[in-house]
Amino acid sequence: MADLAELKAMIERTLPGAEVEVIDEGGGDHLRAIVAAPQFDGMSRLDQHRAVRAAVKPRFDDGSIHALSIETTALGSG
Amino acid sequence: MPADPALKQQLETAIAENEVLLLMKGTPDTPRCGFSLRVVGVLDQLGVEYGAIDVLPVLQPLREVTTELSEWQTFPQLYVNGQLVGGCDIVEEMLSSGELADLLGVEQPEAPSAPEPQRILPGGSQQSPPMQLG
Repeated sequence: MADLAELKAMIERTLPGAEVEVIDEGGGDHLRAIVAAPQFDGMSRLDQHRAVRAAVKPRFDDGSIHALSIETTALGSG
Repeated sequence: MPADPALKQQLETAIAENEVLLLMKGTPDTPRCGFSLRVVGVLDQLGVEYGAIDVLPVLQPLREVTTELSEWQTFPQLYVNGQLVGGCDIVEEMLSSGELADLLGVEQPEAPSAPEPQRILPGGSQQSPPMQLG
């Protein structure tokens, strides 16, 4: 069972300044991360998703997360 | 642990030989996960032909291969013209934005939407029999 607060913290640590929300979509192992980060400006969607996945990789590796849906937007690029 | 070189070679060949290649859990006729089902649905909406590989028989070794090849370790994965496009989230976003239709050189479907989760798709657009690696 993944700890949503921990995942949020892991993403925030990797992406300082990001606005992060982590939601359980059912069962504790299907999660959704919604991340708006200044670092995403100019990054491809693939790289944005890779960054989020890298932040929570230990929880993928230990099986706490089975599936992670990711929504990313660049923050403050206007 | 380095990825299995023979498996990696098989995947590289499949990517090179298929303009559109879907690595999925199950087959287009019988998807084994909701995300794979959704990507099949997107490709059907776009009416493109594609190759499909069922990753389930080689799941862990293939994760190692795609990690090395594409820095991506979950499935489904959609490759177009030799490049990873992404998983279900990215594919659905690009369908909505019109980018995917552009990339594939097809018309943007009217009112694109994600398929209903319960709908079992016949895998209509896929051109070749589902492939397996390993």
